[in-house]
Amino acid sequence: MTDPKKDEIVLDCAEFQEQLPQMFAIQGEIEERPELRAHLATCSNCSALVRDLEYIAEQARLLMEPTHDPSPEVWSNIQSKLTGHGKPN
Amino acid sequence: MLQGQLMNETTTKQQPGAFRRNPPIAGEAEAIQSAQSGNQDAFSKLYALHKRRVYTLCLRMLGNVSEAEDMTQEAFLHLFRKIGSFRGESAFSTWLHRLTVNLVLMHLRKKGLQLVSLEETINPSDDDTPKRDFGSLDQRLTGSVDRVTLERAVAELPPGYRLVFVLHDVEGYEHNEIATMLECSTGNSKSQLHKARLKLRDMLRHPETMGEGVAK
Repeated sequence: MTDPKKDEIVLDCAEFQEQLPQMFAIQGEIEERPELRAHLATCSNCSALVRDLEYIAEQARLLMEPTHDPSPEVWSNIQSKLTGHGKPN
Repeated sequence: MLQGQLMNETTTKQQPGAFRRNPPIAGEAEAIQSAQSGNQDAFSKLYALHKRRVYTLCLRMLGNVSEAEDMTQEAFLHLFRKIGSFRGESAFSTWLHRLTVNLVLMHLRKKGLQLVSLEETINPSDDDTPKRDFGSLDQRLTGSVDRVTLERAVAELPPGYRLVFVLHDVEGYEHNEIATMLECSTGNSKSQLHKARLKLRDMLRHPETMGEGVAK
């Protein structure tokens, strides 16, 4: 009779963190890989790290809305190029 | 060749990230049509409608006000020359967005930033590389980051990190699209994004180490 625990992969923090780029790139990767879940369940530092990185990715959407205007000189320069002071190259 | 490539890229691919924020704009279709006939008032209307989006994109990709203004100017001059080739196969703002991204990337290449091999050429120094995190739990980020702080932190990212972060997490491009645009592998794109987020985490946990914002 085989011991199911015998085949379990146990990751340390460094090994777990090496997996993070791929884990974040593929949706459902954590659910698919028991060794990732197991490490997350037992390591408070790595689970805090994952939570923070997920939070940063979510907060990036705050930057989606354009919030900055160019100075009026930008349009002046465009206009002068359009009206013959220089045709656009 | 570059211009042909630029316009091909703007017409053949519909970009999912940009679609998320592309509601129809009143008067835009008429302005496009008139601008295609050479009407400069119509072009000025298109500028008014899209300047903020184009400029903000340039600013976030470049992290520098002066360069962002120059690239905004270039993007609209390029638009003026090429608007006749807009066929409406994607939303106009999507088309303009992609045109702008490609112009900024070309600008960065001209400046000598080798996008071909991000890992080797724009990997920051060891001092900038985010450390592996085995740290304490004393400062959780959740719920603590506002837009202004995040924007400041993004502006301070090394160029390669910033590009991939802005293109993926802000603008919604997929890794395979970024890999094509930057001529790198998807693995490289994933790795750069991860390092960018780690670096942001470091900065956001210690905001006192950040500068005042985007460079003038």
